[in-house]
Amino acid sequence: MALATLLSISSCTEDFDAINTNPNDPTTIGAQYLLPTGIESAVDRYWGARTRFERINIDAAELYVQHFTRNIYSNEGDNYEVSPALVANNWKAFYNDALLNFQRIIIQSGPEGKSPNANYEGVALVMRSWVFSLLTDMYGAIPYSEALAGTSESPVYTPKYDSMEEVYAGLLNDLKVANEKLSVSGRGISGDILYEGDILKWKKFANSLRLRLANRQAAKKPAESKAIMAEILGDPAKYPIFTSNADNAILKCTTVLPSNNEWNQVMVQDGRTDWNISSTLADKMNALGDTRITVYANPNKDGKYQGHPNGLPDAIATSYLATSSTIGSYFLRADAPEVIMTYAELNLILAEAAFDGDITGDAKTYFEKGITASFSQYNLPVPATYFATVGAVTKAKIMEQKWIALFGQGIEAWIEKRRTGLPVFPAADSRAVFANDGVLPTRFVYPNSEYSLNQTNVEAGVALNGGPNTMQTKLWWAE
Amino acid sequence: MTYAQVRQLSGKITSTEDGTGLPGASVIFKGTNIGSNADADGNFKMTVPDDGILVVSFVGYLSQEIAIGNKTKFDIKLSADTRQLAEVVVTAFGIEREKKALGYSVQEVKGSALTESRSTNVANGLSGKIAGVRIQSNGGPGSGSTIQIRGSSSISGNNQPLVVIDGVPMEQSASKTLGGGISEINPDNIKEMSVLKGPNAAALYGSRAANGVILITTKNGQGTKGIGVEFNSNVTFERPWIKPDFQNIYGGGNGYRTWYNDGWSGSITDPLQTQQYRAVYDSKYPLAGSAGTDESWGAPMDGRLVRQWWTGNDVAPLTPQPNNWEEYWNTGQTINNSVALSGGNDKGFFRLALGRVDQKGIMYYNDFNRTNFRINSGYNLTKNLNITMSGEYIKSGADNRNYTSGSQFIWSHRHISWDRLRDYETYNDVHNQRAVAGKPADNDPPNWQHTYFTNPYFMERNLPFSNEKDRLLGNIALNYKILPSLSLMVRTGTDLWSDTRINVSNFARVRNGNSTPGRFSEEVLRSQETNSDFIFTYNKDFSTDFSTNIQFGGINRTNYYKRNYFYVGELVVDGIYNASNSVPSLNTIQSSIRKSEVQSLFAAANFGYRNMLFLDLTARNDWSSTLPSNDRSYFYPSASVSAVVTDMLNVQSDILTFAKVRASLAQVGNDADPYQLAQTFESSGSWNGSLPKFAESVSIANSSLKPEITTGLELGADMRFFRGKVGLDFTYYEQTTRNQILGVEISKASGYDRRILNAGEITNKGIELTLSGTPIKLDNGFAWNVSLNYARNRNKVVELAEGLTTYILASQRGMTSEARVGQPYGTFYGVAFERAPDGQIVYGSNGLPTLQPTQQIIGNIQPDWTGGMLNTFTYKGITLTALVDVRMGGDIFDEGTGTGRWTGQYAETALGREEGVIGKGVQKITAADGSVSYEPNTVIVTANQMYRYNNPRNYHEAAIFDASYVKLRELSVGYNIPSSLIKKLHLQSAKLSLVGRNVWMIFKNTPHVDPEFDSKGGNAQGFGYGELPSSRSIGVNLNLSF
Repeated sequence: MALATLLSISSCTEDFDAINTNPNDPTTIGAQYLLPTGIESAVDRYWGARTRFERINIDAAELYVQHFTRNIYSNEGDNYEVSPALVANNWKAFYNDALLNFQRIIIQSGPEGKSPNANYEGVALVMRSWVFSLLTDMYGAIPYSEALAGTSESPVYTPKYDSMEEVYAGLLNDLKVANEKLSVSGRGISGDILYEGDILKWKKFANSLRLRLANRQAAKKPAESKAIMAEILGDPAKYPIFTSNADNAILKCTTVLPSNNEWNQVMVQDGRTDWNISSTLADKMNALGDTRITVYANPNKDGKYQGHPNGLPDAIATSYLATSSTIGSYFLRADAPEVIMTYAELNLILAEAAFDGDITGDAKTYFEKGITASFSQYNLPVPATYFATVGAVTKAKIMEQKWIALFGQGIEAWIEKRRTGLPVFPAADSRAVFANDGVLPTRFVYPNSEYSLNQTNVEAGVALNGGPNTMQTKLWWAE
Repeated sequence: MTYAQVRQLSGKITSTEDGTGLPGASVIFKGTNIGSNADADGNFKMTVPDDGILVVSFVGYLSQEIAIGNKTKFDIKLSADTRQLAEVVVTAFGIEREKKALGYSVQEVKGSALTESRSTNVANGLSGKIAGVRIQSNGGPGSGSTIQIRGSSSISGNNQPLVVIDGVPMEQSASKTLGGGISEINPDNIKEMSVLKGPNAAALYGSRAANGVILITTKNGQGTKGIGVEFNSNVTFERPWIKPDFQNIYGGGNGYRTWYNDGWSGSITDPLQTQQYRAVYDSKYPLAGSAGTDESWGAPMDGRLVRQWWTGNDVAPLTPQPNNWEEYWNTGQTINNSVALSGGNDKGFFRLALGRVDQKGIMYYNDFNRTNFRINSGYNLTKNLNITMSGEYIKSGADNRNYTSGSQFIWSHRHISWDRLRDYETYNDVHNQRAVAGKPADNDPPNWQHTYFTNPYFMERNLPFSNEKDRLLGNIALNYKILPSLSLMVRTGTDLWSDTRINVSNFARVRNGNSTPGRFSEEVLRSQETNSDFIFTYNKDFSTDFSTNIQFGGINRTNYYKRNYFYVGELVVDGIYNASNSVPSLNTIQSSIRKSEVQSLFAAANFGYRNMLFLDLTARNDWSSTLPSNDRSYFYPSASVSAVVTDMLNVQSDILTFAKVRASLAQVGNDADPYQLAQTFESSGSWNGSLPKFAESVSIANSSLKPEITTGLELGADMRFFRGKVGLDFTYYEQTTRNQILGVEISKASGYDRRILNAGEITNKGIELTLSGTPIKLDNGFAWNVSLNYARNRNKVVELAEGLTTYILASQRGMTSEARVGQPYGTFYGVAFERAPDGQIVYGSNGLPTLQPTQQIIGNIQPDWTGGMLNTFTYKGITLTALVDVRMGGDIFDEGTGTGRWTGQYAETALGREEGVIGKGVQKITAADGSVSYEPNTVIVTANQMYRYNNPRNYHEAAIFDASYVKLRELSVGYNIPSSLIKKLHLQSAKLSLVGRNVWMIFKNTPHVDPEFDSKGGNAQGFGYGELPSSRSIGVNLNLSF
């Protein structure tokens, strides 16, 4: 018997490969299953992030741009303090949960891939470009050209950082390629939770996003930006752009967990009531007679839309609980949309470009179209006297309207504020206490993990930004 | 032709020194299970099947081997073993060997030492008793402990020792809350426990023995004369031990206001309430409640009349609640009964044991129970063939074991009475809750606030995390004596468990006008490990000078694990926890399977020369299914020598009675977890409950993994002085682990989180010292025995992978514990305050601390040294033992203390609330010429502004504390009921003991907690946030045997 056992040992390892074959997870998967993962994780992160101390929008950007203010824990963003977990875990989530899956789709749907389909490739390229643009606009120089290559044939585990200028050039080209790849007569796609497989809308989004980026770098690269804008606007058939709110790039959240709107998860399901409307926004909108505030905020007990200042210490901030308006119920619904880019924003981009002379066309027309689109996004008519109250088109007016229209899209509003310095906010409340020397954060610092795991490159990245790794170093597009 | 002659033997075993009988001395017919124990006078009787050799032994005496020949009556005299050398210890494969023959260190704990100290988790009873073994226990019924022997050798993997019961491994799961493995063992069944400390001692157990082995031998009834009955009963009570130093001056809330309105800091509009409020707070205070702020920066508790959660529309005096800590906790209770029946004769033996533990935790509505059914038996089928079995069925579980940590004394109002909160139902009618216009009114159970918390007693009562676990483990072994010098053992053993865990996570309710449904999850786990082995043993003394023992064998091990899980996101009818009572689109289901197999061949040889020079050699080859086919096979050897110097040099001295030196060198190989060779995609749930989603795994698989190898060198000396009155054992070891299989974190910008690869080298070097002796021994029977142990381990990460300088073990709030090249394992990196050259904190011109721009080393989890002192005082039948347990150095990230300071809970935060505080430190003055100087900080800031800098989420350094402690861990008094009385009661022995655990915190460096906590477990040690406090217990134990 012992001998039998002994003999059996040498022959039994034949089963080992079978034993060690993973019975739980597949080694290949179709693009339609990766696409929703990438879209949902990217948009959810951008719109909120449910985890406390990681809420990049509602505990950073929306407070920085004074759409929101906090009634407690001003140190969670409102006073410009940033938890190390926020910068680290959003960085990680954008690269690992969103970009990696888009990259996998691009590889396997590409012409050389296992299952070529140019429409999947194009969609993933658009989404990848959007996420990269968020990262570079939040952090500065980022790994881009060497990023996402951890399983390439010559894998890169410590990708180099590319300057914002290089990243922008790359993204503008990627979006052009995406528009070329996307074909309404091409093979269909599924798993598309953004546009339900409507390739034309994807083309519109690709070109609108390209206009956004071109406009953002226009002061730094005027010739390139002008050429791109002319290319797109000059050939609407080849380069369709948003033509109505129906084209908006929005994730239509649902009432089914966990596909809910992130704000609903935080403010309703988790019961956090830490936010009110900032008095900066409420005062401005009240002054303009802007009815969008009825959507952005809930009336207080007196039926008024009223906010309180940013950066107040807790003991003072909590005293406003009784009088400050809460965040509008429209945004707190489980199925409230998470907005990436709208027709309103596109028109305000074009208004600015026209105003700056980057494109031909009437700034006022774009401006009013943008405002109208923003109201109609919330099913509101533009009040009769609104344009008169707003007054003549200036750069400041355009940026102010964009800031109002970007309510909810905190990161976008924060980028525009940092780029243009507009709108100019009222002086801080005398009782407010700010970290970061009272300076509106100009960027996020690189996560500690990059210093642990990619030190040489992150230090080179800091050098590319032209200033120390602080929240006071201005980014490339700052005008 | 000769044939077996069954014969009756009898005799008396006495002490050479004084001629008295040695009750309990054992006589074994060598090579069999046949044996007997001497009675109270030292007499024995037994039947043997044949001629042979009797092995006579007794604790503290030198064993003797006596040939039977034609004799039937024996007068055996045993000499006291003044050098205590004949100590027999259990080593690998359950082989009993003389300690002096071993070339590595093994330390033993007798079962009695564990049953008396009476921790429900046997592992905790080891704390402080064995040099180099560190136990990190957790509170909570049925909880697990982290056991670490000689520091961490593996960077990412399991650093827990292998636990082997009666020769067969028992799976160890290091779950903090649920325990598992060693925590499920009934200490009453343990005969002895041996700790084999390094890879040296454990080469023969293969892969998983790299972290040491805990060998448990259970009582099996062998040597019982007739029928024996043992009975043990124990009742233990426990209370939380270390109470934080609270402030009792200011109540909950903020801005010097304490007022309950609706639990949400809602505005006060009602005229009556406005009038009540304004009677206490003048117009400079806003008209709003303060209960939504879960901190204690509220009003002075001076008896002012305020609304509280239990007063409804009335007001009541705001008074301090200095005893609310005591109110919060229950008096925990453990009742432990076991009974065992054993019997034996010349043919066989058995022991049946039944044990039951019922535990109630120090948190209300938390419990645990465990029932152990054990059988050990053996039977001599023929003279040369016997069979043994060891089996246990363990049923354990809890109605609720949910509470492992809480914020009730961190995010809290100091004026809260927990007795009242436990009695919340009384206040259902008066309690005011929020009603948001246009929405349903809130219906949370009454509580001091509703913004962030639900009444913890309601949660524990109504949202239980229950489990029910069945475990069956055991083995059957057949021993066949082929020749007098050659035997074969064939054995198969398994450890199978299944656990059903039901976690109720929400109840249907309305909060802030929003409804949430009832929710729960159910997880069913099944795990099995089966080991089948055979061992040939060849044992021969070639001459009187040379002894030889050679073993050769093979083992097949299979592991299987299955998980089925579902989560119900919305119950249709609340309170019915059934999967079909659910809204289907909100359900989540998951399952997974893990399988692996390892086959091994091994050989071991022990050579002895004149019983003073010993050489041990081992070799093993494993084949593992988890490695790629070309690297599947790996070999590892060991060698050790032991030399009894005093015998070799023939030293005859009353000072140095005995000296032995030992040395060993060993390797242990290790394989990987299953399924790490191929890149996969993982399910990531669904969109809108219908569209399936998958994500690429963020761990980069590696198709060319190699086994990892740990090499250990150990040198030691064992010396006895003054005829054995003083003993000293010294060990030096070096352990290096190479080619570790790591999930190495990489830059996230690569798209991936980590790579699986062979990387790194980590070294552990250390010394262990054990000093034992009898300082006092008087003629009247009084004796004081003391045993001291000391261990220090120095751990260093020498190398990781190419281009990689750090491995992150754990992170919390952006603070990381890392294995960084050149630094010890478990170094804390995080945000630190700026310091002047003399170490003082630098304050900004605003009077608040300033921060260093980059992350700094702010601590390390490894202690400088650990040790223990066990004192035993005996006088007549009374035994008093006192165990002092020491840990010096090492840090913890105590988020609870940092946060509690930030939220105004502790005494120090009550200072300066009215007049402001000045941070102790300096201001940095930069002169016009750029020169820097430091001046004392003199800026006054408000107290809560300053204490905010204890917020461990942003200021990690503020929550780093030194984890040193000196504890009087155990104090027990035992009384052996005199034999005269015992005989009258027809008992063999009776012992009554009183045992206290965690009796006295002699020293610690943390302000508010017991530094011994470990919220994450495993390799992520040193983190804590409102952990369940350690408890002080007192128990009564009665042990009877018939």
